[in-house]
Amino acid sequence: MATRIQILPATLALLGLGIAAPVALADETCNSPYMTNLIKGQEDFVHVWTLGVKGLGDESDKLVTIDANPKSKTYGKVVHSLSVGGRGEVHHMGFTDDRKQLWAGRLDDSRIFVIDVGTDPAKPKLVRTIADLESKSGFVGPHTFYALPGRMLVQALSNTRDHGGVTGMVTYNNKGGYVARYDMPVANGGDGYGYDLAINPAKNLLLTSSFTGWNNYMMDLGKLIKDAEAMKRFGATMVAWDLKAMKPQKVFQVPGAPLEIRWSLKPGDNWAITAAALTSKLWLVKQDAGGQWQAKEVGTIGDPAQIPLPVDISITADGKGLWVNTFMDGTTRYFDLGNPEAPKQTYSKVTGKQVNMVSQSWDGKRVYVTSSLLANWDKKGADDEQFLRAFNWNGKELTPAFEVDFYKEKLGRAHHMKFTAKPGRQSALASLDGN
Amino acid sequence: MLRVRPSAACLAFALACIAAQGFAQSPLLGLHDPPVRIDDPPTPAKVALGRKLFFDRRLSVNGTMSCGMCHVPAQGFAANELRTPLGVEGRSVRRNAPTILNVAYYERLFHDGREATLEAQVWAPLLAGNEMGNRSGQAVVDRIAALPDYAGLFESAYDGLRPDAQTVGRALAAYERSLVSGGARFDRWWFGGERGALTAQEREGFAIFLFRGGCAQCHRVEERHALFTDQRYHNTGTGHARLDAARRPVRVELAPGVFTTLAPEAVDKVGAPDVSDAGRMEVTGDPADRWKYRTPSLRNVALTAPYMHDGSLATLEEVVEFYDRGGGEDPDKADWLFPLHLSAADKRALVAFLKTLTGANIEALVREAAR
Ligand code: HEC
Ligand code: HEC
Repeated sequence: MATRIQILPATLALLGLGIAAPVALADETCNSPYMTNLIKGQEDFVHVWTLGVKGLGDESDKLVTIDANPKSKTYGKVVHSLSVGGRGEVHHMGFTDDRKQLWAGRLDDSRIFVIDVGTDPAKPKLVRTIADLESKSGFVGPHTFYALPGRMLVQALSNTRDHGGVTGMVTYNNKGGYVARYDMPVANGGDGYGYDLAINPAKNLLLTSSFTGWNNYMMDLGKLIKDAEAMKRFGATMVAWDLKAMKPQKVFQVPGAPLEIRWSLKPGDNWAITAAALTSKLWLVKQDAGGQWQAKEVGTIGDPAQIPLPVDISITADGKGLWVNTFMDGTTRYFDLGNPEAPKQTYSKVTGKQVNMVSQSWDGKRVYVTSSLLANWDKKGADDEQFLRAFNWNGKELTPAFEVDFYKEKLGRAHHMKFTAKPGRQSALASLDGN
Repeated sequence: MLRVRPSAACLAFALACIAAQGFAQSPLLGLHDPPVRIDDPPTPAKVALGRKLFFDRRLSVNGTMSCGMCHVPAQGFAANELRTPLGVEGRSVRRNAPTILNVAYYERLFHDGREATLEAQVWAPLLAGNEMGNRSGQAVVDRIAALPDYAGLFESAYDGLRPDAQTVGRALAAYERSLVSGGARFDRWWFGGERGALTAQEREGFAIFLFRGGCAQCHRVEERHALFTDQRYHNTGTGHARLDAARRPVRVELAPGVFTTLAPEAVDKVGAPDVSDAGRMEVTGDPADRWKYRTPSLRNVALTAPYMHDGSLATLEEVVEFYDRGGGEDPDKADWLFPLHLSAADKRALVAFLKTLTGANIEALVREAAR
């Protein structure tokens, strides 16, 4: 059933270029290496993919655009809000290869919204809604959107058969046309689960991680913790794929739901790091002396017995540091990755009652934090703060820059963030090769 | 609403089905003929339409839930991966999703027996805000009527009738009534006289089930057939046990073999409070019915974990341990439950017996559901 992705000759040229001078993956440090126009200086806008909340404002899911340029008159203010209609468990977004469009997904009803942020990033516009993921692939919950040349590689989380965790990846072309599906492996130690994906073009390597199915990510978190059956249904694997062939090569056992994957962006580095959410461990994926890819546990985040839930990580552009947000204790932590085999926590700050995403600017000077993990996993009552908080980072201390209260503004639950720059400025700020 | 013992037509239909699907064993062995409504005899067109509806996620308000997402064919037409399921937008459902295999035989439906007919039952999940979330029956009917792939299906199955609240219920019920599954190894041995169909251990388990365990007082076995239910309501102590469990620290498995323990207060921070469940008392208002639940059939029980109205017991081994202790610690529980003092070998035999109740046509029913 799986069809091969066509890697265009032009892509291969790009891959070659990638080897010579690695294209940066980046929050700005977590984008696909096939994406152009990295913002190396000051971002103008932060777009926040926001979950609608019943009884709040228009109740609809929306893309909230916030002015992030300190020189601007509307700095720190919401300048635009694009409601897409309904509530469908908004989650992550990814830019197309030309950075002109954002693909933004919903994990419940599997809708994908393609939003133009290139024409006028101050006023994002809905271009199209893709609603055929389930009928075409049988997968549910489009999670990661990862640009390929002319295409989008989408990692799903669940399936239409039983809402469990066995799932796969799908490719669409940039016009929104379905291209192919790839099942997560269930043989050779594979559990069939999916979560994030990240590519190292130089090594022709696609890495995937594993979370859980609709049944669990849509469940009230308290109910889930008490449901011993459901707790058995979390991913415990990462998979190394041959990118060009889109064939799984090796399954790594990484217990406890390994989530976001970040390749080091430093030229010459060929390792990736991830955090296992349930077990609170950092895992390193790199080649051993014999050239074999291995995954190994390299560190602990907080006190695993308290289930801090490391939910997002953000790697610095030089691969020397890693921000880690732990949801339960609302803490933003900095790990020194000087030796990626032994990450050391060197800083931590409570940045909210609950925190999920952490994104940094390319120069590492600005760090943004949002609050929502999943609608039914967020804390209840007074601890359910919803915000975007911007901080400045001087290498020693996070100091508040501005903050938007998403409940006060009647917006919803703040989740994934992406940066844009005004069109004129963008080209000046960006360059392809990452130096 | 007439329920009758099988008409010749019904039997013929059932047998035709069997022949068509080439079942090796009769799925009816060990069961009496499934009840049918003489005013609405099953036909292949009705069953096929009902099956299409049952697995159609568009029947929920936001297109995410079908009946089959909680009654999953490959999971014994129940939900193995959850103690209790969730509906639209992930809203919590307080009770375990029972199998719909052999549901035709129940005199009353749901764990508390609050509904009588399958035709009426379907509207409970369709309209429940925490299951399929539809705002009204008419909204469901209108949605189905507008779907091109349903054009003409109701009309040809129901003599020209259009989709409406009756025909939607009737079609779903027709499919559910077709999910009859007997002919288990136990049936071949006990009712079919096939000596080698059970092992010595499994036969020993059945003896314990009948006598020392006292199980058959509630999970009844008749002379010519067995449903393993008395169709009545009993308090086995599971309701009380649920309350006790809510006060205890929660042991959480973070990864296979990696555990931690959380205080209930810590869990409450991220969870909505538990919803209470008084069992049969919610239907009758009679305090004597508190925490009574309908005795479930044990047919196909090996496929339908986790067990009890709240899914609190994960395995048949745990169920047997539960009964060996004499059920839950509730002073009001049924008199028939008392500590059994079974040996380890007895318990293994009882579990082995329970695993012989899996119907002969399960694979065929699962395959058919996937169509
Ligand atoms: C969100 C999960 C969910 C969905 C969706 C769902 N069910 Fe159920 N079903 C349950 C649960 C839970 C129960 C038990 C409820 C109770 O006893 O109060 C149940 C009970 C039943 C029963 C009674 C079984 C018995 O042993 O008495 C039938 C029949 C049934 N469902 C059919 C359906 C049909 C038909 C649909 C679709 C129209 C459907 N269900 C949709 C969860 C679900
Ligand atoms: C007093 C009547 C009674 C007796 C005696 C009894 N049961 Fe039950 N059984 C029930 C009821 C009622 C339930 C449902 C309880 C609930 O939902 O909380 C049940 C549930 C079960 C279940 C779970 C089925 C499911 O689908 O969840 C199994 C298995 C079971 N009994 C096996 C046994 C065995 C084995 C014995 C003998 C050791 C036994 N029972 C004795 C009444 C009885």
